[in-house]
Amino acid sequence: MRAIMMVIGGLLLGIMVVIAGLAVAWPAHADPDTDFANELHTYGIYGQKDYNAWIGKITCKRLYNGLDQDADKSAKFVFLQMPKGSTTEQAWQFLGASLRYYCPDKLPVLEAAAHQ
Amino acid sequence: MWIKASVAAAVVSVAAMALPAVASADASDDYPIPNRILKTTCTVDQYMAAVRDVEPVYYERYMTDYKNRPVDVQDAARDRIYWFFSLDYTARRQYSEDTATNVYYEQMATHWGNWAKLFFNNKGVAAHGTDICMNYPPTDPTVWNW
Repeated sequence: MRAIMMVIGGLLLGIMVVIAGLAVAWPAHADPDTDFANELHTYGIYGQKDYNAWIGKITCKRLYNGLDQDADKSAKFVFLQMPKGSTTEQAWQFLGASLRYYCPDKLPVLEAAAHQ
Repeated sequence: MWIKASVAAAVVSVAAMALPAVASADASDDYPIPNRILKTTCTVDQYMAAVRDVEPVYYERYMTDYKNRPVDVQDAARDRIYWFFSLDYTARRQYSEDTATNVYYEQMATHWGNWAKLFFNNKGVAAHGTDICMNYPPTDPTVWNW
């Protein structure tokens, strides 16, 4: 009886260690700025990671406080911040990624623009 | 005698080096306050709204700093920059001279060192803001509420 208890106890301990390991490892993957930058790279948008993250977050802030009232305004704001030679398409891609990473609750703004 | 002459020469050369150092403490038409800010006819609100659009990260950082000040310091900084913008070019140029030559001239700076950073510290920001500030409404209280 005691032996069985010890085996079960050992198993439980092992499971807890694995769960704890997962919990510790998780934050290393949860850096939205890095994921955001990686997605921008797929659109051919480079530049400083921190700068682009700022622009993404400020884009959200401008939607939240009503300075930009629709996705067209947001895309114009983003386009202004991108390097010369960037395309309108890239500005919209930047905007889409910004909303997905930093304010997913604002994604309907993008859908509203698509249905215009 | 020869030693005396060389000492005299050394004194003269030290004096010559000291003179330009004194002169460099004066203001120029672009320092410490950028020329564009001395000359712009925009209001504070117009300039800030423009910078919010074209230099958003610089604006964001200034506003974060602003919000971290006590309310009385915020109020004083706002009053002071509106006062500065009420001056004409000649008076602004004189103010630039006064702050360049006397570090204690601007009392606001003793409460908040970077109180006018958005306006005075960066020529590029001043240029980008003043390029388009005339296209914004003269009064826009949202620029301080960020």
